[in-house]
Amino acid sequence: MRCPINGLRPVSEFQYAGEIRPMPDPDTCSDAQWADYVFNRNGAPGTKKEWWLHIASGIWFVAERDTAADKVLNTYLYGEVPQS
Amino acid sequence: MPFRLLRFAGASRYPEGRMFRAHETLRPAYDVVVIGAGGHGLAAAYYLARDHGIKNIAVLEKGYIGGGNTGRNTTIIRSNYLTPEGVAFYDESVRLWKDLAADFDLNLFYSTRGHFTLAHTDSAVRTMRWRAEVNKHLGVDSELVGPEDVEKACPQIDLSCGGHAPILGALYHAPGAIARHDAVAWGYGRGADRRGVEIHQKTEVLGIDVRDGRVTGVRTSRGNISTPKVLCAVAGSTPRITNMVDIRTPIYIHPLQAMVTEPMKPWLDPILVSGSLHIYVSQSARGELVMGASLDPYELHSTRSTLDFVEGLAAHMLDMFPFLSHAKINRQWAGMADMTPDFAPIMGKTPLEGFYLDSGWGTWGFKATPVSGKTMAYTVANDRDHPLIEGFRLSRFAEYELTGEKGAASVGH
Amino acid sequence: MSNRLPPVAGEWIDRAVRIDFQFEAEPLHGLAGDTITSALSASAVKAIGRSFKYHRLRGVLSLANHDVNALLQDGPELNVRGDVAPLRNGMRLASVNTFGGVRYDRARILDKFAKLLPVGFYYKAFHTPRALFPFWERVFRRLTGLGALDFSTPHIRTPKRYDFCEVLVIGAGPSGLSAALAAADAGAEVVIVDENARIGGSLGYQRGGLEASAGALRELADRILLHPNISVRTGTFAAGYYADHWVPLVDIKRMTKMRARAVIVASGVFEQPAVFHNNDLPGVMLASAAQRLIYRYAVKPIQSAVVLTANEDGYVAALDLLANGVKVEAVVDLRNATDSSDAATRLEQAGVRIHRGKGIYEARAKGDGVGAAVICPLRADGVLDDEQQQTILCDGILMSVGYAPAAALLYQAGAAMRFDETVQQFLPQTLPEGVLAAGRVNGVYALDDRILDGRRAGNEAATMLGYMAPAALPVARAAISPSHPYPVFDHPAAKNFVDFDEDLQLKDFFNAAQEGFDNIELLKRYTTVGMGPSQGKHSNMNAIRILAKILGRAPGEVGSTTSRPFFHPVAMSHLAGRGFHPLRLSPLHSRHEKDGAVFMQAGVWLRPEYYRQRGKLKQEIVREETMAVRKSVGIIDVGTLGKMEISGPDAAAFLERLYTGRFANLKVSMTRYALMLDESGVIIDDGVVARLGEERFYFTTTTTGSANVYREMTRLNTMWGMKVGIVNATGAYAAMNLAGPRSRDVLAGLTNLELADDAFPYLAVREAEVAGVPARLMRVGFVGELGYEIHVPADGACAVWDALTQAGRVNGIRPFGVEAQRLLRLEKGHIIIGQDTDGLTTPFDASSEWAVKMDKPYFIGQRSLKIIQRKTPRTKLVGFMLDAMGENEAPKECHLVISDGNIAGRVTSIAFSPSLERHVGLAFVAPELAAEGGRFFIRADGGRMVQAAVAKIPFYDPAGQRQKEAKDSQAA
Repeated sequence: MRCPINGLRPVSEFQYAGEIRPMPDPDTCSDAQWADYVFNRNGAPGTKKEWWLHIASGIWFVAERDTAADKVLNTYLYGEVPQS
Repeated sequence: MPFRLLRFAGASRYPEGRMFRAHETLRPAYDVVVIGAGGHGLAAAYYLARDHGIKNIAVLEKGYIGGGNTGRNTTIIRSNYLTPEGVAFYDESVRLWKDLAADFDLNLFYSTRGHFTLAHTDSAVRTMRWRAEVNKHLGVDSELVGPEDVEKACPQIDLSCGGHAPILGALYHAPGAIARHDAVAWGYGRGADRRGVEIHQKTEVLGIDVRDGRVTGVRTSRGNISTPKVLCAVAGSTPRITNMVDIRTPIYIHPLQAMVTEPMKPWLDPILVSGSLHIYVSQSARGELVMGASLDPYELHSTRSTLDFVEGLAAHMLDMFPFLSHAKINRQWAGMADMTPDFAPIMGKTPLEGFYLDSGWGTWGFKATPVSGKTMAYTVANDRDHPLIEGFRLSRFAEYELTGEKGAASVGH
Repeated sequence: MSNRLPPVAGEWIDRAVRIDFQFEAEPLHGLAGDTITSALSASAVKAIGRSFKYHRLRGVLSLANHDVNALLQDGPELNVRGDVAPLRNGMRLASVNTFGGVRYDRARILDKFAKLLPVGFYYKAFHTPRALFPFWERVFRRLTGLGALDFSTPHIRTPKRYDFCEVLVIGAGPSGLSAALAAADAGAEVVIVDENARIGGSLGYQRGGLEASAGALRELADRILLHPNISVRTGTFAAGYYADHWVPLVDIKRMTKMRARAVIVASGVFEQPAVFHNNDLPGVMLASAAQRLIYRYAVKPIQSAVVLTANEDGYVAALDLLANGVKVEAVVDLRNATDSSDAATRLEQAGVRIHRGKGIYEARAKGDGVGAAVICPLRADGVLDDEQQQTILCDGILMSVGYAPAAALLYQAGAAMRFDETVQQFLPQTLPEGVLAAGRVNGVYALDDRILDGRRAGNEAATMLGYMAPAALPVARAAISPSHPYPVFDHPAAKNFVDFDEDLQLKDFFNAAQEGFDNIELLKRYTTVGMGPSQGKHSNMNAIRILAKILGRAPGEVGSTTSRPFFHPVAMSHLAGRGFHPLRLSPLHSRHEKDGAVFMQAGVWLRPEYYRQRGKLKQEIVREETMAVRKSVGIIDVGTLGKMEISGPDAAAFLERLYTGRFANLKVSMTRYALMLDESGVIIDDGVVARLGEERFYFTTTTTGSANVYREMTRLNTMWGMKVGIVNATGAYAAMNLAGPRSRDVLAGLTNLELADDAFPYLAVREAEVAGVPARLMRVGFVGELGYEIHVPADGACAVWDALTQAGRVNGIRPFGVEAQRLLRLEKGHIIIGQDTDGLTTPFDASSEWAVKMDKPYFIGQRSLKIIQRKTPRTKLVGFMLDAMGENEAPKECHLVISDGNIAGRVTSIAFSPSLERHVGLAFVAPELAAEGGRFFIRADGGRMVQAAVAKIPFYDPAGQRQKEAKDSQAA
């Protein structure tokens, strides 16, 4: 996998932290919407934006990964516009 | 004396017929469609036909019978769970397991071996005691034992685990057993088939028709079916199916790997699990050591294998059984585990009328094959959740009523 | 009697070095360079094992580890593959899975009952009567295991290696060697691996009785071995293909994990057996096995042969036999047309009788092995006409009827394979990037074409890596298939084997299909074809052909089963490596050891549980340590706690979001308890936050939670983008808690810091030097006595600890461990995360609402708590006390609370309090049982019900005076 800062590193140096899911506004959302955010997941295969950590350097970043083919399509720092 | 084998002696023609018929076409309509011909789906079909008189059933399988997690798991059967609803559920399963070979007239190699969940820390010992107490309360035979009892059952074990994680005690569960996983699917399949259920392999579900909030039919790669009831029992493919009907669930899919040694002469009688070392192991009737560990740490819809997995598991195995140095790993494989936040399944009715879920089986599905079949059959037939599965309803998450099972799933996640 | 030939060009043996060994207690000898099987063959040992199910005598089949006819026990080493295991002096070998040795195996009687033991027989019986199943299971277990474990085998720690290369070539046959040269010539760094002891592959043994190929091989070998860009690893096999060209290379010593940038699979093919009655008699072998015996080990495989063939290679093999003194009685060609190859022509000129359009109907036994071959004409429908039988005397039968690709690694890499009708082989149709195939595995058979195909692949790899421009070379796959489409022949007496590992006969497949197992996956699982130790190398292709015939379809439609690692089984010691067991030791570890600490594991840390005292039991010692703290002073190492620093303009705001409590209003130089939840409102961690400045905080986490908390904080801030810097200082600081009424006295002499209550009140934090080491001191209440938690840089820890223990001697200072600390905090009713909380515990359950400020704008878990708040409470953590009773009578942690025969909670912590002289504890109970003064029952060991009384916490010093004021201090 390619750490946006450190480059290509073995997958064992990284930790997965789930799909990036936007949090609804806790002040305005309904209980059902909040529970859906806390518990439900987009479980089907597809290309997802995920939180990954490069453990050795402590860098959190975004990986776009095809979760069926296990192919990382892109990695970039959170908040950056991804280069294709 | 296995006298039954004598019928093979005289016969000039092999005297066995098909266990499950092959069907040229799908019928236009069925009373129930089961998606997934694994152990769970076939069991549900079997009990629907046998106990509820519903026989116009199609079980649709995109691959081959038992080709999913049913054929990939490490075949451990136990009921030493943590919560009362879990214990009651799996205990009923063990009860059904014991009679299954007789029901099917098929040898499942159901072998009661005794199951040890090893505790290497104080907190693990506490959790084992918790499980033992809940088990005993519900009449399930489990108890907290000391390292000397582990050694008595498995004299070859290194109690210190290489000096790194000494065994302080264990949860001993006498009814713990193993069985031949494929045979369970075949047994349920044949039993269902004999009662008129149609099993359609190589038939993929492409869509589910819904009108006015109820199921009306299923679209498949071999044609369309109309049906008022659909039971989804597809393990790792659950989210694909629930997406077809816009039902959201907490299920997330991670690969679960396993590996097996070459066959060796019998030496390991009990089933052993270690939460600290992240391993579980048993010796099959063929003499192979069947081993598993934790889930892969990221979502993936694939049954690919990794080298990390075998390396890590081999290292931990040698900690516990140093004399396995020369034993060789023959093969590794993987299944796709449908995980839930509370390590308990998601079963029963859903907000969509006529759509039933048997899912969220994570790493605990094989042992539940009989009871899930039975309870889902009841649920589908009566359109009402069976009492044993009420704790596993989909709505429990929105209700913040999660089960407390996380402490009983054998290996760390 | 010896079958050793006079010296053969290119032989692998060293005739000067004799090796003595035993096989089945018979003393034999071989030569250096022999494998076990070649040495046995040289010693004219025909029967080398017994088969798995029917215990039939078996001899050499592939001599390539594509079958396990030769599976042996060598002392503690089990399941040794005779075909490839090097012979060593003093080996004492026996075949596995016999009952009385190969010759007198008592289980051979099973062969007589074969009819009663058809495919899947074990599913049809043995389960009734139920009571007898355990007996039958024991029988099965004894019969099905192969080698035996030696329990005195030590834990072998085989270090692993890592390696990198640009092009990995798997297989050093002609195409592999050619590929390696092409890539290396272009400039790429190449590693070539081959499982055999020497390179060359089939070029070394398919000679057709001529020296030409040996010469060609020598030339190639020289170029390879001298090439600066090529590294050759023999005796090494590629065990599997993993993502991103990650290939474990396994040799006898170790596993090397190779990362390549391109992989060329030139692994060749597995020669396939023909299926006919008694095709498993010793003496019936694959043609390539005979050739390997001759040219590698100078062993005459048999005396007189019948060669069954369907390709040119059979003729080549016949010529090899002739050239080395074997009488070739006949060549039986399944094909009608005359083979026009050079080899066939030369063979005919040599006067060997060639039968065309015929096949072998059965092999007849004589003694241990083959005595004759019975041949019949082959009808157009593929069935042998058994009305016209001709018997040819011989003591060996060679089979050269076709091949299956050794494509495991291609499959594992994700190649799409397609069955090619011309070549009669599954061939790669699409290959993933960076993976190439060359040679016979790619369907290229003529020698010159293989060399060309290797070059093509090498060029493609070099091009991909940027070493050369694309240079198209045409791939010439075999125009005439070297594989017979159906070398499978029925026989009324069966015993025509498809899978030699699993003892599967032709009818087993028909029977399985008849039972409905008629797709390739179900067929495999029901028959177990390919599930034995060879994983189908010699059997999968025939199984596919047979199923195709049954279904009336093409093999391509039938497909194949999933290919999985490993290519050959790999020893656990190779996989495990040296093992890595990280252990974290406190900077004060040496002091604990000196003080006689008994250590326990807390995560990867070692912590003192208590400190040994001669003649005293643990219980007594823990009590003493506890009372020392209550009465005088104790000191404990709490350095395993997570220690975090956060600074910046948004530091307070960050903590407000992270924890349930309020920290924005925490005064500088004060501390506050902190509770952390997850998004579902469940407690996950706790600690103490100290404010060192407006924008500077120092806070602790639990020992086992520190790494996770730090990671989560950095993730959150990646998202929130607040102006903070977060540092995980866990390893940088040591920490110790000096606690007890005399603690101030002990500390006073070692610091200039004002210690009076008004200068340094309870819950305050101060920065000052202690024993000359800069420290952070916090007055915390965990154990409920006047005390100071002192945090110092790790390298100053020992100096401070030593100074404190020295200064405390006059007050009888005792180091105390985790057990005593647990008891002390329990007397104060403090919860321990993970012991008094579980995966479902919310602050409401844990009676920790006081730490939760619901009116904050946002904190993690808040929104869920709002939902939970409106639900009926399900449980409550309460303090309880027991009536006076002995240790053995008292309940233990996790004993259940029982109410009306139902489970109503459980004990989470319990201990005998020396201060109160009663057992106290914490328990989750149903809310209706939680009223103060109420009573409930706990089911203890043996089912005994023990009554407990709900008690207000803290049990000890309820007003918390002792930690706040120093009443007994001698200092002012």
